Formats: sequence, C-alpha cells, structure tokens
Amino acid sequence: MPPPPPDPKVLPLDPGASPELTRAILARTSGDPCHRLRDLACDFVDGTLEPGQASLARLHLGHCEACSALVETLASLQVDLPALAEVDPGPWFTQAVMRATRHQPLQGNAGLHGLWWRLMHRPRIALEAAYLGAAAGLMGIYLPLPTLTPRVPALVQPLGDSALRVAGQMAQAERRTSASLQRSLRPIVHPRPVPSAKASLWQRLSSWTKARLQAFRKAQAPPASLETQKLHPANP
Amino acid sequence: MELTQLLNLVRCGDELAWEAFVRSFQGRVFGLAYHYTTQAEDARDLTQDVFVRIYQNLALVPDEAGCLPWIIRITRNICIDHLRRRKARPPLWDLPADELFDLRSTDRNPEEVHLETVRKTMVHRALQELTDLNREIILLKEIQGLGLEEIAGILDVPVGTVKSRSNRARLELAQKLVAVGMGA
Repeated sequence: MPPPPPDPKVLPLDPGASPELTRAILARTSGDPCHRLRDLACDFVDGTLEPGQASLARLHLGHCEACSALVETLASLQVDLPALAEVDPGPWFTQAVMRATRHQPLQGNAGLHGLWWRLMHRPRIALEAAYLGAAAGLMGIYLPLPTLTPRVPALVQPLGDSALRVAGQMAQAERRTSASLQRSLRPIVHPRPVPSAKASLWQRLSSWTKARLQAFRKAQAPPASLETQKLHPANP
Repeated sequence: MELTQLLNLVRCGDELAWEAFVRSFQGRVFGLAYHYTTQAEDARDLTQDVFVRIYQNLALVPDEAGCLPWIIRITRNICIDHLRRRKARPPLWDLPADELFDLRSTDRNPEEVHLETVRKTMVHRALQELTDLNREIILLKEIQGLGLEEIAGILDVPVGTVKSRSNRARLELAQKLVAVGMGA
C-alpha cells in the first residue's frame, strides 16, 4: 500500500531535512536555541527533566554537534568525577600516620581533661597567654590600689561602754598626733607625693612623668661654678 | 565491621582499629587534599595532619553518617589554612603538579589504564580552572558525594546557592573539557 500523500498544511518534522535552513530561520526569529539547551543540560543528563522538555532537547541534540558533545561530556563526568574521590597516597602512608599518632595522647573522653588538652593545644594559645600576661601586668602597674584601712584588732573579750569610749578617745588622740607630726615633718623631708587611691590613671602618669623629668634635668645639669657654690653652699 | 564499633575500639586505644580507620578514609582525605593543594607531597603532609587531629579529637568524631562530612570539614579547614600560609609565604620555586593518578597499580590493560589516567589528569586540571566556590561545590557534591544541606553547612552558603551553582559548575567544567578536546 503506497504511503499517503503529505498534508500541505502540516510541516514535516524531518530531522535530517535541511539543518542550514533551520539555522537560518532560527537566526532570523528566536535566536540560537543552544543557550536554552545549556540551561537544561544538567537536568537532562540527570534524568530530572520533564518528558516534553526532554524530547525537545533530544531533537535539538540530534542536530547540534556542539550541544551533543557537551551533553556527552556531562554524562561522562558522572562517571569520571566520583572516581576522583579516592586517590592512593602511596604504600607507606598508613605506616607514616601510625608513627605520627603513636605518641599522641588519646583523647577518648570528652571530660574536663580533654577540654583542657584541646584548649592548651590551640595554635593561638601563645598569643592569648602573652596578651593576658601583658594586660595583667598593665593592670598591676597602673590601676589604683584599694585604700588600706587600719586593721582593727579582734577583740578577745567584749568591752563595755566605758572601755569603748576610752578606746575611741585614744584612737582620736593618736590620729591627731600623727596628723600634726606629718604636718610638721612635711617641709623637712619633702615626701614624694603618694598618689591617692582615687587619682585617675592620667594624673598618676603625669605626676610620675614630671618627677622623672625633674630627676633627669637634675642629672643632666652642668655642675655649679665655684662662685655659685660659695654664694649658695647648700645647692651643689 | 561497622563504623560505630570501629570508633569505639579506637577510642579504647586499639591500634589495629585505628589502622583500619586510617585505611578506610586515607584515600578520600588524600584525594580531597590533593584537589585543594595540587601538590602530592603537600597533600600527604596535610592528610597526616588531618589524621593526627582526628586522633586528638576522637571524642568529637560523629558516628555513622556524620563521620565523613566531619572528616571532610576538617580536611577542608586544614587545606584552606595551608593555602593561606602558602599565599602569605610562597615557596621559592613552584614544583610542577605531580601526576599521581598513575600511582595505583592495576591488572588491567595498560592502554586502558593510560587513557583513564590521562582523562583523570585532564579533569583535575580543568577543575583547577574553575572559580573557588564552583570547584569546592564540584569537589564536595560530585566527587565526595555529600548532600546539598551538608555542603551548604560546610561552605556556609544557602542550599539554593549550592544547587544552582552545582549545575553551573558542572556545565563550566564540561565546556572546558570540550574546549580542550577531552569531550566524551
């Protein structure tokens, strides 16, 4: 039975008809369909493309050598890439690892000992220790010390009101005496100014710098001449 | 022997169990380190470091399914640290990348082995031309076979990014192989 004559209203879907003509028509209408295929290529290779799209992609691949090569390479990568997961490091590698781990302490438990060991074996531990040491040193040098309060001796026996009164009067007298003694001695001994506990760090630093500068100037000053020494014998 | 049982023996100090553990994972760790560093000698040193670190942190090794992603994460961290150090202080001279894919001896036809070796080497070189993120996604997803969520956790990127980047990276790799005439 002879084949029926083709319907002139329906275009024949013949893959091998005229690829140049198809390309020319696409170039003047929708453009190159290879971009669209590249978007779908991975899903096509994985088999996750819906059947309609897959048949269209298959039709394009029948004509386009470049896309066909790309899809074939993608398919071959599915075999090639997992094969790269394991690479033999050589025959002596396991022995080298066993030697390297022979003297390592085994941290089998996650207790405090393991935590301490991990903390102490971090690369940054030296830097952190140096930082903490420097911070502690600076705090010890520059931070004001707490005021020393006179220690009250522990009373062995409870005292009555009169005894407490006498003790209070004695303490007041002692404090007055020591204050007057300090006032009288200050011009003689020129005591070094003691920074108070409430003085700020800047005040302490500036007074310390001034004292150092004075001492330095005194040391660097030229010796007094003979006439000066005669006029001011106390000043060498 | 199951991995959980093996790990319990290792934690008890059984050296044979530790050797079995090393032999089970050394190929994967070395392969990953080699893909990161491209130098076999560096990769061997880094792989040793990885196992020493695992040995020091045996209490933290997850059992069963979480073990391989954990090891891969440690390997990646050590390799990235190494690459940063190498970038800061580059070696005096650059050794050519070792062709280590021919180290494995097999009983197959030598021609087949040679073709496979050439192909693996070309794929490895093409991988080095990808961007860092694309290469890592290929390494972790296609080569090591990790899941999208695990990769997103390791790389600290959204799962959607991993998915879209994965297809793009595969396509880029295939295009590079076709360009050098290594298409299938």
